[in-house]
Amino acid sequence: MGYFLKSYLHFFAFKVLILFYPFLISNVFADDLRIKINSGQVEPLPLAIADFTGEEGKANEIGRQIAEVISNNLVGSGQFKSVESAAFIAPPTSPSVRPNFTDWTPLGIKALITGSVKSINEQQIEVEFRLWDIIAETDLIGLRLSVDSQAWRRVAHIISDEIFERLSGDSGYFDTRIVYVAESGPQNKRLKRLAIMDQDGENHQYLTDGSFLVLTPRFSPTTQEITYLAYFKNEPRVYIFNLETGEQELLGSFPGMTFAPRFSPFGDKIIMSLAEKGVTDIYTMNLNNQEVIRLTNSPSIDTSPSFSPNGKKIIFNSDRGGSQQIYIMDANGRNVKRISFGKGRYATPVWAPKGELIAFTKMLKNKFYIGIMSPDGSGERLLAKGYLVEGPTWAPNGRVLMYFKQQAPIDDGKSSSVNLYKIDITGFRETRIITPSDGSDPAWSPLIPN
Amino acid sequence: MVMSTFISLGLHVSLIIFAYYGLPSFKVKEPIELPIDIVEDTPISSKTSLKLGDTKVKEIKKNKKTIKVENIKKAPPPPPLPSAKIIEKKNLELKKKNEIKEIAELVKKKPKLKIKKEKKIVLPKVVNKPEKIKKKQKENLAKGILNTLIKPEQIIKNSKKQKNKNNSKEMLKKIKKIAGNSYRQVQQTDLNLSQTDINKIENHVRKFFNVSYAASELRMVITLKISANLDGTVKRVQIIDETLYAKNKFYRATADAARRAVLDSSPLPLPKGKEKLFENIEFDFNPSSIFSY
Repeated sequence: MGYFLKSYLHFFAFKVLILFYPFLISNVFADDLRIKINSGQVEPLPLAIADFTGEEGKANEIGRQIAEVISNNLVGSGQFKSVESAAFIAPPTSPSVRPNFTDWTPLGIKALITGSVKSINEQQIEVEFRLWDIIAETDLIGLRLSVDSQAWRRVAHIISDEIFERLSGDSGYFDTRIVYVAESGPQNKRLKRLAIMDQDGENHQYLTDGSFLVLTPRFSPTTQEITYLAYFKNEPRVYIFNLETGEQELLGSFPGMTFAPRFSPFGDKIIMSLAEKGVTDIYTMNLNNQEVIRLTNSPSIDTSPSFSPNGKKIIFNSDRGGSQQIYIMDANGRNVKRISFGKGRYATPVWAPKGELIAFTKMLKNKFYIGIMSPDGSGERLLAKGYLVEGPTWAPNGRVLMYFKQQAPIDDGKSSSVNLYKIDITGFRETRIITPSDGSDPAWSPLIPN
Repeated sequence: MVMSTFISLGLHVSLIIFAYYGLPSFKVKEPIELPIDIVEDTPISSKTSLKLGDTKVKEIKKNKKTIKVENIKKAPPPPPLPSAKIIEKKNLELKKKNEIKEIAELVKKKPKLKIKKEKKIVLPKVVNKPEKIKKKQKENLAKGILNTLIKPEQIIKNSKKQKNKNNSKEMLKKIKKIAGNSYRQVQQTDLNLSQTDINKIENHVRKFFNVSYAASELRMVITLKISANLDGTVKRVQIIDETLYAKNKFYRATADAARRAVLDSSPLPLPKGKEKLFENIEFDFNPSSIFSY
């Protein structure tokens, strides 16, 4: 009887197990199948930028120009390529109308930008745009801006930034300005003036008349002030230029020569070099209370200081080790450490806005290079090379560098031209910035606040 | 012996309880009753008030009672009474019929004959003397007999194996039927993607995965849930982490690029016979390893 019961129970248990088998199996194989994609392409994304439509002639013209500026910005970044409008099957009529996506897919377009311009009154216009994902058949972003009709170019830059950010994930850098030294005249009587322009070279303006030599202009974090070095009455001094008022102010009175000024990340201090009795050291000056603090104290030349984005560290170049190299120290001048150990000389280090890289100028075997490295000195990469390439400055998103490049002098005694160039940190796309005259010492502004 | 029986009994009872309540009951959470916040009490009148000026009088049409007058068919007239001649004729016919019946019954009743069964004659058996068989012939015979004996054994064994196989198949079918929703997962145990299959799809999709160098900022994997038709065309793409998609601009841009890649790569080169697996599959896009500048 017992044996019978036992065998029956065993049989029953087996049946129960069979019943639960699917549950066990389903738990084991509960995870869905996965395929890992660890590689891809980093190629310009094909875009279609349709002319912004307008109700009447003026609005139509502005719309066409806005589309052109957006196209130049995005294509100029190297991350996008624009398809000619002649290839469009059915140009879009309004940004609020959903496009027929099948008209765009044969052109290989991945994203479409449509927009409109409407005159509110004689001075004001309303610009509307929409970014469409052609493949996913959805809109990604839409924005409406009301501005002065004279400021249409800025609207185009703002729209470019929005599109750039939405498609790449990174902040744009199109609504920014460049301050630089505009050079003209013969080599022995060179005229150097402060000039300012949009990042694409438009809206060019001279800030000084050329009666005195200017060098190394740098933007304040608010973009409203510029600090620079001027040889006024043959005395090199650091000045601050206010862009709103046009006033210039001498930064303190020092016994020696002050140069290589740069604002701190919060705009409350200026860091610079002061040369006195054959010794050049780094100082900071508080703009609120005029307090001056000496940060380095060595018999060598310490110059080109630059704050880290959080203001806690400073990089500079010094020849204290025998040759010109890059050093890092705390904001109070302590813990000085050399970070560059490559061949050649290193100069003009600039900390990237995000803090992960340092741009520098390198001199090796009669050649100049623009390069980047990590703040600990590792991962050095050289991006540009030339007879003279110098003075790197970062775009606010930390993806593009601008610098100036001079060609080798020609034998007829005339000086070779100096021009501004920009390059992205991949080092593949070097583009010349067109300026009315020669240009050197560029400084890229942060994004202009709206 | 008794102890072990009790232990076994206890274990089996617990198994029965476990089977009765089932696994899912452990997973199901009881709904949490949330208190309802009363914001405003709105009194509702018993009658619906009409707006002034809206008092439209609905014209109710009275239904005219229509009485249908049905036409009732008149009953047919009774048949005429039969005459005396006809009655006589009928009586004669009946008599004749009765006589024929009586004759027929007499014919049917045949006298039964009694037949005696005789025993069969048994013939004497003729016994032939067996012939002398040679040795070789004997061996051959034996082999033949053995073969005939072995063959059926093998057939029996094979048939048993077949039966077992059929039983296991039936069992699997039963399991699948019982499993219901988990049918798909059970099926996956039969079908698995090989590394070649995976590589083929990865190589195909990555050609369309075009990202910005800003994607290097993203130190995470983007997971997309994909549903493909049997011919490889992508039916649906879903970005799993919607929170991150809304918050992180790098994630959003790269996830869009990944979605474009999947849709652009449609139709996917699905491995033959494994198309079903792609009804629900996840793609993990990892852009961090793309950049090596």
